[in-house]
Amino acid sequence: MAMTRLPPEIRQVLDNGTACVMVTCSTDGKPNTTIISQVYYVDETHAALSFQFFSKTIRNVRENPRAYVCVFDIQGRAHWELQLQFERSETQGPVFDAMDMQIEAIASMTGMSGIFKLRAADIYRVLSVERVSHPAIGPTAPVAD
Amino acid sequence: MIPGKLVRFLEQHATVAFAGLRNGDLVPFGHRVSGWRVGADQRTITIFFPDDFLQGLIELLQQNGELAVTVEEISSHETYQFKGRYRQHREVNEDDLDIVNRIRHRFARSLKALYHNVPEDVLREFVSPASLAVEFEVQEIYLQTPGPGAGTRLIPSTEG
Repeated sequence: MAMTRLPPEIRQVLDNGTACVMVTCSTDGKPNTTIISQVYYVDETHAALSFQFFSKTIRNVRENPRAYVCVFDIQGRAHWELQLQFERSETQGPVFDAMDMQIEAIASMTGMSGIFKLRAADIYRVLSVERVSHPAIGPTAPVAD
Repeated sequence: MIPGKLVRFLEQHATVAFAGLRNGDLVPFGHRVSGWRVGADQRTITIFFPDDFLQGLIELLQQNGELAVTVEEISSHETYQFKGRYRQHREVNEDDLDIVNRIRHRFARSLKALYHNVPEDVLREFVSPASLAVEFEVQEIYLQTPGPGAGTRLIPSTEG
């Protein structure tokens, strides 16, 4: 089976540390949607997500390994949609260390130092990736609030 | 029932939302959201979706009805997740589009602090024109504001 590869142009978007949204699903069929601070580029076929709290997302991917992630590229007027499959969790090593450093930087920038703490780097295989451009909307009516 | 505090959050403060669904094989999917409106009985929320991939979205909702929507106020990081069941859908109307426009401006203003070198009209493009309104019955609400309390179920209450 051909491996899906992350295109080079997504690397900069991921490295910019833009916010992302992740959707998982429990085995009883309930989707779960959450905002995540970053998707970390591991290699052409893998991405890593941070495991910071014992959340529903973490429980879901350990019972149903499929995940959807949307990465917003505000300046590029687009978003990226990724289908992922959870493979393993790492609590040490170069990927963990790099993520730990980036999460601390994001926490510092967003006033959340001491709240974000990396427990593990969850490694996912990329099953599909697609860039979706946002349409221009032209002038919009002014609003009062 | 959605508490009054959360109704005010949704109507006056929240700046961005995203919907999660799944197919029959429990594969999750996501969809951007352009706006939202709380039902008069405070038991439903109507979500306004942009018109990309709508056919697939409606098929998934009609197959299994499961929907989860995360809503955030970007400036404060205050975030809630609303889970529930699809009820019905329709085309958006003028009132809906007014709501979308207000949220679009609120979103662009809040992001301007983070992307001060990006023109505000580019930020507004992130909230795409809506074409479909999906009403769902809220069954569970979770706190998702980052921190140790994230994931706490608010409705139904876990106490008592």
